[in-house]
Amino acid sequence: MNGITQSTALWYASRATGVVSLLLLTGVVLLGMLVNRQGRLPGFPRFVVTGLHRNLSLLAVVFVAVHVLTAIADSYVSIQLIAIVIPFVSSYKPVWLGLGAVSLDLVLALIVTSLLRARMSRRMWRGLHWFSYAAWGSAVVHSLYSSTDLHHGLLLYTAIACWLAVAVAGCWRMAHAGREIPREGRAAATLELMSPGGGPRRGRREAPAARPPGADIR
Amino acid sequence: MTPGTTVPQSAGSRWDQPRGGHRQHSPAQPGQPGGLPRLFPASGAGPVDLRTHLSRFTALPYLGQPGQLIPVLKAAGLTGRGGAAFPVYRKLAAVAEAATRPVVIGNGAEGEPASDKDKSLLWISPHLVLDGLQLAAETVSSAAVGLYVHRNDRLQDQLRAAVAERAAAGLDRVPVEIIDAPPRFLAGEESALASRISGEPAMPRFKPPRVFERGVAGRPTLVHNVETLAHLALIARYGPDWFRGAGTADEPGSMLCTLHQADGRRDVVETQLGTPLRALVHLGPGTQAVLSGGYHGAWLPAADAGQLTLSNADLVPAGSFVGAGVLAALPADRCGIAETARVTRYLALESAGQCGPCFNGLPRIAAALDEVASPRPDPRAVTDMMRWAGLVEGRGACHHPDGTVRFVRSALQVFREEIRLHTQGRCADPARRPFLPLPAQTAMDAADWN
Repeated sequence: MNGITQSTALWYASRATGVVSLLLLTGVVLLGMLVNRQGRLPGFPRFVVTGLHRNLSLLAVVFVAVHVLTAIADSYVSIQLIAIVIPFVSSYKPVWLGLGAVSLDLVLALIVTSLLRARMSRRMWRGLHWFSYAAWGSAVVHSLYSSTDLHHGLLLYTAIACWLAVAVAGCWRMAHAGREIPREGRAAATLELMSPGGGPRRGRREAPAARPPGADIR
Repeated sequence: MTPGTTVPQSAGSRWDQPRGGHRQHSPAQPGQPGGLPRLFPASGAGPVDLRTHLSRFTALPYLGQPGQLIPVLKAAGLTGRGGAAFPVYRKLAAVAEAATRPVVIGNGAEGEPASDKDKSLLWISPHLVLDGLQLAAETVSSAAVGLYVHRNDRLQDQLRAAVAERAAAGLDRVPVEIIDAPPRFLAGEESALASRISGEPAMPRFKPPRVFERGVAGRPTLVHNVETLAHLALIARYGPDWFRGAGTADEPGSMLCTLHQADGRRDVVETQLGTPLRALVHLGPGTQAVLSGGYHGAWLPAADAGQLTLSNADLVPAGSFVGAGVLAALPADRCGIAETARVTRYLALESAGQCGPCFNGLPRIAAALDEVASPRPDPRAVTDMMRWAGLVEGRGACHHPDGTVRFVRSALQVFREEIRLHTQGRCADPARRPFLPLPAQTAMDAADWN
């Protein structure tokens, strides 16, 4: 590797956007867990987490698209166009490129279902969104074995940081799942938090307003 | 006490005020009954049975074909009486065009604690509502009709009896199911209603799809407030010109209002749109402010309210709206801030807990309002509240955050003098006697939403 020439530019572009895609997808997964647990980023209002999660996922798609298209356009190895979306048909490293195709398909499916979220049931959307972990996982394995870039040096440390971040966040998410307040009690929990001591309690019985007898048919 | 007898037809005669046209009762005529009330019997008697109903209004005017009623309702200018004042014909037209067979639901959930008009109408004139349901079902070719009713066994039993009586008389072409609405503030919100009737908790969901596109069991669903259906049944009989004989040109017809007088009396009256507010609630020196539009509405200073009429043309520029016709006169010797804080706490606890801005924001606003209601409050409470109000507005699946914020903002504006008193450690009503009605209990667990 000695300098970027016209013939190697696409190859470098593909590898660089691949690494950035991995970082972005990792960010999306981390933010997704934060959204799910209703966490927040220090110093930002709550909706920033959701907005960032959504916008970062769209940005990741752009980088993945450039990553894939430059890999196809590069003449160093020949990858058929169809191998972008159909897994395990590539003549070059069929399994490891295939995992990349799996990841791409899943990411696209996740984005389409999220854009159409209003048209489907909450349960269906949540069920489908579990596949985001599979999408990230297959992208990680793909990144590790499709090239040797992540096998040493700074990029290896970056990759390890990504794995660790998702592992730690995953543990945090699972630990918090059991402590979720059901939606019926959320407003009451916030109200209790805001007025410690003599504050109102959930289901507290209000004294009914003074009213003429029989003015109520309930 | 027989429930029906407690709902008078007019606000009574104690207040010597002009009353617009709503008291010109004339005897019911089989052709075109003139004057008001239209929905309640002129005599003020209790529940109207089927025989009396038919002799007053004649038989159900089925039109023989779907869609026939839509241009009639457009000409009449009937708008939804559940609060949103949406043109009725547009919903009917949208559902009538649907590819699949729609569901028709009469909405009598009336989760607003300050409103009694839907319960009163269902108790006194159930057959008008049931007529409206049949006509709406014919208009949109529906074979599935339901009546979603506030949880009250006596009311629901009487409605079931009325439905059975009509079935025995061969009046109804589509059977009507009575469906129980949980006593939640949001239970009558269209998507919450659709969710509840589909067998899930009565919680709102994000729109689109709108309920008229995908509602009960995923089918297009026509939801109309029960009072809207009663007006519809009369327009089908007497035509648009008759309907426009009351109200203003832009907001025609009559509507039911729940009035809370400063002396504690609570009445349901039928009045024309465009009636001066001072003809409905007593606005003498004993009244400091008027709440219009219910708990998602806004406070108006009594002096301003005296200049306004019951119409969105007047009330919307003043920051409020007609809504479902709740008007409450707050006595001069009460604390408007304490009252607003009490109601806001209730509204916060009635959040369905689905949207972050709602279940995080409203309790914070309620707690800050509690602070402002206390002696020598932390001066940051008001600015915090205004900031949170801006953050929750427009950010919910339903309008619960928006309506609550409108209510709170109007209180901070109208009761500025009271806030100033609080900073000096004084209050208009240190005893804090509650005035506005609230239910005894808020939701505690999932079961309360079913």
